[in-house]
Amino acid sequence: MFWLYLHFQHLLLDHVARSREDALPLAVLSQGSKRVLQACPRARQLGIQPETALKTALNLAPELVMVHADDERQADILEQQAHWLYRYMDRITLFPPDGLLAEAGSVQRLYGGLDTLRQQLRQALDERQLNTTLTTGLTPMAARLLARAGAHSFTDNAAHMRRALEDLPLEQAGFDDRTLQRLLRLGLNNLGQVFALPATELARRLTPETLAYVQRLQGQRPDPQTSWQPPHHFQQRADFALPVEKAPGLLFALQRMLAELESDLQWRQQDTDSLLLILHHYRREPSRLRIRTTGPEHRADAFLNLLRIRLEQHPLAAPVETLELKVTRFLDRRVASSTDLLGETTDQDEAWHTLISRLQARLGEQALKHLTPSADHRPEKAWNARSLTALSGNHPMATGQQPLRPLWLLPHPTSLDVMPEEWLGGPERISGGWWDGARVLRDYYVARLPSGQLAWVYRDPHQGWFIHGWFG
Amino acid sequence: MNDLLNTLLSDARLWRGHRQSTTATAPEQTGFAALDKELDGLGWPRGALSECLLDAPGIGELQLVLPLLRRLTAQQRTVFWVNPPLIPYAPALAREGVDLGQLVSVRTDTQSDLLWTLENCLRSPVTGLVMAWPGPLAARDVRRLQLAAEAGQSHCILFQSRREACQSSAAALRLELDPDIRMGLQVRVRKRRGGWPGQGCTLSMQARAGLGRTEPGATIIPGPWTGGATRG
Repeated sequence: MFWLYLHFQHLLLDHVARSREDALPLAVLSQGSKRVLQACPRARQLGIQPETALKTALNLAPELVMVHADDERQADILEQQAHWLYRYMDRITLFPPDGLLAEAGSVQRLYGGLDTLRQQLRQALDERQLNTTLTTGLTPMAARLLARAGAHSFTDNAAHMRRALEDLPLEQAGFDDRTLQRLLRLGLNNLGQVFALPATELARRLTPETLAYVQRLQGQRPDPQTSWQPPHHFQQRADFALPVEKAPGLLFALQRMLAELESDLQWRQQDTDSLLLILHHYRREPSRLRIRTTGPEHRADAFLNLLRIRLEQHPLAAPVETLELKVTRFLDRRVASSTDLLGETTDQDEAWHTLISRLQARLGEQALKHLTPSADHRPEKAWNARSLTALSGNHPMATGQQPLRPLWLLPHPTSLDVMPEEWLGGPERISGGWWDGARVLRDYYVARLPSGQLAWVYRDPHQGWFIHGWFG
Repeated sequence: MNDLLNTLLSDARLWRGHRQSTTATAPEQTGFAALDKELDGLGWPRGALSECLLDAPGIGELQLVLPLLRRLTAQQRTVFWVNPPLIPYAPALAREGVDLGQLVSVRTDTQSDLLWTLENCLRSPVTGLVMAWPGPLAARDVRRLQLAAEAGQSHCILFQSRREACQSSAAALRLELDPDIRMGLQVRVRKRRGGWPGQGCTLSMQARAGLGRTEPGATIIPGPWTGGATRG
């Protein structure tokens, strides 16, 4: 059993950099003291190094784009990384702000060797443009120390890993300052020399805690790790160094997030039909955009098209600083029921969902309706407009027995102002609604008006005549 | 070059005076024998616009489309009703044998939304028929819709009032609808692809009033309420 540690050298910087299209130098600043923590390659070219004071940095590069380090945000971003790493390895522990630990020994056989695993991880990291040190160690702490020291040792050779740990200078061994000073004063330089000391001496001369730490490093004392559990929802965020003012500027970042969503859904073997997009503004309530598709969907292109339509319709309320994408609703993927050789039927189904989703994205969900009859005697209540979100089921078609009805119904009956030329049908008495207060008592007739129109007219108890429909 | 000419000649979209041939696609009959005869058996043009010009609803304009509606919904093709002026009454449609599951009613607010919707519906392969009540349309918009219908190979019927319709239109078929004294529908062909305009016929639409049976007209009877003065 051995461990793999991923140390992200500048996670926040990489995270912000990949949502950018411009080429301005970028730096991450520490929160309190105005110092540069991380600088992008372009900024480093201009002479900005970590630990440079803000004033100096601004003199070196006046157009410098600055991002403030924020622990909460970093923790979020780290969890985002754990999310995709979970596809490769199952026992993951988060080490905020910039590290992930994973148990590598048990998955070695799955990948048929450590090299394959490394290649796959490297590829995944490159796709996400993350600068990372990948290091293995015999114990969790050993892997972490080696990775933070920048040792790119990726091996399953125990002796090699032990030697690497023993060669580690004491300054990088994670001791607190006091302990480090005392060890240095004893004339020790690397961890191997500390390991060589008798345990009782170590506990007596230094502290029992130091001994415990050293034993955990060596694996002589248990060091249980709590495994991270992936959440049941999908969440991605993109932070912009410069607030985005126009909707098209969001699409670049969205493309990547939706690609991530697509692969996540692919791994889950699930689909979704609703996305939540949260746009965070500077000192303003975040705006929320909910995108729905009529059918289960997982393709990034389809989502992107809908989002594009939606963003065209709704201009941004304010510049966007952070973009968050959330999916909480997952649907099991439907197996194509028809085994058509050419797959034409499923294509039709898909085309239908695409069309309806497009229309709904632009017109709003309420603009599209299915019409259904409903069981009521009163003509104005004998029909229903259902929204299209549910899959259209087949209604039992009742023909023949139904009473004669006009094809057009007026939303509100209008009074009959002209004398009909001919009476063609009726009367049909409709009386009902005493149970819900909307009482109706009418005699319906079919009448031809002088204009040639065929109307469905009724008379109510007050002797008024009204047109309620047209036989179109 | 010769091939190209031959293809053009065999296609009814090229106007050749009185020597016309039919279009290549299978015709979608209107379901009314008299009208089909007037249209030379071409029926509703597929992949093209049709325009129905009329003054008021209730003269049998939907009856004219019902056979097509019934056929397309039975084939599981979607039928869109875009901006209908009144409520398409579901019980009546169900009674006429239209599969309501395939009917989608769409309401748009602005003219640009309307054109966008029509174009998207027409271009989609799932669409069988788009019925629209667009109000006044510019000639270039009609042309655009015509191209969209061509791309999607679907039917599109625009219902327009005679006043709002433009003088010339890119539609492949233009019908003028008028009521007739015996409840029939007078159809005049103002324009059609592959033929001369000017024909007309009268279709009997009596069945829509339930008058298939031999039954005299209605008699007005006073209600169960008192004071039964009638206006009929």
